[in-house]
Amino acid sequence: MYMVQALDIYKKFDELEVLKGVSLQVEKGQVIAIIGPSGSGKSTFLRCLNRLETIDSGTIEIEGEIMVQNGPGGKAVYRSEDTIFRLRQKMGMVFQNFNLFPHKSVLDNLILAPVMVNKVEPARAKETARVLLEKVGLSEKANNFPFELSGGQQQRVAIARALAMNPDIMCFDEPTSALDPELTGEVLQVMKGLAVENMTMIVVTHEIGFAREVADQVIFMDDGIIIEQGSAEDVIVNPQHERTIAFLSKVLMAR
Amino acid sequence: MDYIMMLLPPMIKGWTVTLQLFFLTLCVALPIGIAMGIARVSRLKPLKWFMEFYVWIFRGTPLLLQLLFVYFGLMTVGLRMERFNAAALAFVLNYSAYLAEIFRSGIQSIEKGQYEAADVLGLTRFQTMTKIVLPQVFKRVLPPIGNEVINLVKDSALIYVLAISELLRVAKNAVMRDETFIPFIVAAVFYLFMTAVFQQFFKWLETKYNYYH
Repeated sequence: MYMVQALDIYKKFDELEVLKGVSLQVEKGQVIAIIGPSGSGKSTFLRCLNRLETIDSGTIEIEGEIMVQNGPGGKAVYRSEDTIFRLRQKMGMVFQNFNLFPHKSVLDNLILAPVMVNKVEPARAKETARVLLEKVGLSEKANNFPFELSGGQQQRVAIARALAMNPDIMCFDEPTSALDPELTGEVLQVMKGLAVENMTMIVVTHEIGFAREVADQVIFMDDGIIIEQGSAEDVIVNPQHERTIAFLSKVLMAR
Repeated sequence: MDYIMMLLPPMIKGWTVTLQLFFLTLCVALPIGIAMGIARVSRLKPLKWFMEFYVWIFRGTPLLLQLLFVYFGLMTVGLRMERFNAAALAFVLNYSAYLAEIFRSGIQSIEKGQYEAADVLGLTRFQTMTKIVLPQVFKRVLPPIGNEVINLVKDSALIYVLAISELLRVAKNAVMRDETFIPFIVAAVFYLFMTAVFQQFFKWLETKYNYYH
C-alpha cells in the first residue's frame, strides 16, 4: 500500500494547463523531493494532493483509500466531504509563507486545531505542543507571538503546528523559499530530523543540496509533467534529460 | 453664565435623545453590519447580489432622504411609526450598509494563506471565520469603525427634520427664541465632548489590539 498514490493528474487554471498527466507513488517513510523551475506545476501538484486545489482528472489515493478518481465521463469525481476530511487529516502541510495565525501565541497556534478539530483536552494538547516545540528547538518561545520570531523560527513553529495534528504524511511547499539564506539551515535541520524519524515527506523545494542529501527519490518537473525521476544520485548527480541538466546548472551556478 | 445654566437642562434632555439614537444605532447596526459583511463575500450568489444592492441603495442616497422616506414615505402606505423609531430604523439601515462595507473589505484583506492554513488543519468554515478571520478583521477595521462612530455622533443631528428634540434642535430653538448664538456654541461643546470620548475610546481599543502585528 502506498501512503500517497497519484495517477495521471490533469489540472487547468482557466485555459492554462498546469498539470498534464503527473503520477507519483510514495511509500511509507520515503522522502520525495520535487524540484523544477517556477511555473513547472510542482507546487500545484502538491496542493492537489490534499485538495487545496481540485484536479480535473486523475486518481488520488491516500493510504490506499480513494480521495478522487475519474467518473464515467473521464472527469475527476471527489468522494464525500467526510471521506476527504478524514484523508486530509492524515496529511500535514507547511507553506512557503508559514501562515501562522498572527493573533495567537506560538502555543495557541499549536493547540488550536487539536482542541477544536480533534477535541483534545487543552491541557493535554499543551503538553504535546511543548514536546513539539522542544523538538523544533523553540521551547522558550511558547508564549511569544509570531511577529516576534524570525522567519526561520516561524517556519519551525509552522512545522510543529502541522505535527500537532499527528499526520502520517508531511507536505512541504517550498518551505525555505521565503527565508533569508542564513535562516534556511535551521528549517532544513528540523526537516532532516523528521526524515530520520521515518516521517513520510513530500517536499517541493529549490534546495538541491537538501534534496540530494535527504530525499529517497527526486522528481524533476517542468511544464506540467515529470521529466525525470529517480534517486538523488540519478537525477541530481547524473541527470539524463537536457532540461534537467539546464535547470540544475542554473540553480547550482546561483550558489 | 446664568444664561448657560438656564440652557443646560433642556439641552441635556436633547442630548439624551441624541445618545439614545447613537447607542441604539450602534448596538443594532454593528452585528447586522458584521453579518452583512460576511454575506457580501458569501459563495451564495443571490445573497451576495442582494447585499450589493442593499449597500448601493443605502450608501447611494442621502441619509436625510432615507429619514424622510422611512417616516413620511411609509406613512403614505399606511405604516405609521413613532418619529424616534422611524429615525432609529433609518439610521440602522444606513449604518448597517456602511459597516457592512467596512467588514467586507476587512474580511477580504485577510490573506488567503490564513484560510488555507485553517483548511488543512481541518477547521470548518464557521470555525475559520470565528476563530481565525474575524478576530483579525476586528483589529484591522477599528480605525474605519472609529470614523463611522464619529460620523454617527454628528449625523444624529439630522433627525431634527422629523421634529425630534435632539441636541441641535433644542439649541436652534433657543437661538431663534433668545436671539443669541450661545446655544450653538454650547451644542458644539456637547458634540466635541462626545467625539473626544469616542476618539479616546478607540485609541485605547487600538492599543489593546497592539499585542500582535
